[in-house]
Amino acid sequence: MRRYFLCLSLILLVGAAWLALSVGQVDEVVRNIVYFHVPSSISALSCFTLILICSIGFLASKKSAWDYLATAAAEVGLVCATILNITGMIFSHQQWGVWWTPEPKLITSAILWFLYVAYLILRSGIATARRRGQLCAVFGIIAFIDVPLVFISARVTRGNHPGNVGFASGGQWAAFGLNILAVALLSAMLIWLRYDILKGKSQMEQQLFS
Amino acid sequence: MNSLYHGIKAIFVKDLVLELRAKEVLPSMVVLGMLIVLVLRLVSQVGDLNLGAMGVGALWIAFLFAALLAQERSFAAEQHQDCINGLLLAPIDAGAIYLAKLLVNIVMLGIFEVIIVPLVILAFDLNLAGGFGRLILVLLLGNLAISSVGTLFSAMVQVSRVRGSLLSILVFAILLPMMVPATFALLITFGINPDDMAGTGMVALTGNFRTAVGFLVAFDAIFITASWLLFGFVVQE
Repeated sequence: MRRYFLCLSLILLVGAAWLALSVGQVDEVVRNIVYFHVPSSISALSCFTLILICSIGFLASKKSAWDYLATAAAEVGLVCATILNITGMIFSHQQWGVWWTPEPKLITSAILWFLYVAYLILRSGIATARRRGQLCAVFGIIAFIDVPLVFISARVTRGNHPGNVGFASGGQWAAFGLNILAVALLSAMLIWLRYDILKGKSQMEQQLFS
Repeated sequence: MNSLYHGIKAIFVKDLVLELRAKEVLPSMVVLGMLIVLVLRLVSQVGDLNLGAMGVGALWIAFLFAALLAQERSFAAEQHQDCINGLLLAPIDAGAIYLAKLLVNIVMLGIFEVIIVPLVILAFDLNLAGGFGRLILVLLLGNLAISSVGTLFSAMVQVSRVRGSLLSILVFAILLPMMVPATFALLITFGINPDDMAGTGMVALTGNFRTAVGFLVAFDAIFITASWLLFGFVVQE
């Protein structure tokens, strides 16, 4: 079941990329990055929301399933945030001549990346599973307080960063939407995969050490 | 309500007396702060760097690092012979322990600020154009934000083997968004023209002094409330 979904998301990703390249450039060559930049930013923010939900779920019910899901979301979210920042840096280098500059959106996406890293470092720093879940849940909730700022600033503030990209044709809009769908589906599948691995690992540890 | 007040007062006085007698945290905070200021003052003589802006940077860096020293000790002291369990067994709300420790950290960082701010103003030749009241306001709001998160995470990292380094990463990552309006407000206070900050993103993110202070108040209120409510989950199994 999952294997088919994973294949489907990969095919969708390749197809969406092919469609994006075939419908013509957005303004300039480098702006084609928008097809990967925006979808990964949406996925990164969604993963953070998932961490918040899982954190509240874990604190409320103490079921370790929530903890596995939060870990998986953090790992996939970090990958998405990394893609977001790297594609942004390529764009910045081409367009503005510098790799990084303190712009509102660049600052806030850097913050997002650091929050994911801090979350995963906290996770790796605590040995006992139960305490780990509890403390990471607390950190996940506190860290989410920062997320509205990231999201609002990306929508509201001015700066040199391009705002809403005006697509010339319906084909470009379709390619954009398909890319968002493909990245979201791939992220969801990866989270599912990681969740199962974490669950299996924990069950194996319980059998070994009990 | 009364028991909450007495609980907070007892822990607060205990920690302050402990620090007054042992004198182990505050002196090292001040020396670390002075060293940071000295190093940044050396660097800022190079080329045409803006001395005022460097001074503001020095202030926040010194606050963050010195605050970590106080916060790290804050709950580490309770680990000896499981003092923390004794505190938790006392008939007070777990939140009272958090509020008392928070007050101690605020006082420690406040004393540190009183010592280090005049030093930075002298060393970097800062011009207090925005007035004394604004300076106190921004420093107090910054202090609250740093202490609120730091106190919660101090309790959090005690179960880990790598307490200090973990604490610094957690505190800095969470405080990053707060540092933008805080730095902006302090720059305005020291008479730096907002037009000179055009390319920095701080103006776009915060607007003017009033909105920057609004951001800080919002951060403080949310951080303190969330930490207070979540503290029970951190210390209890």
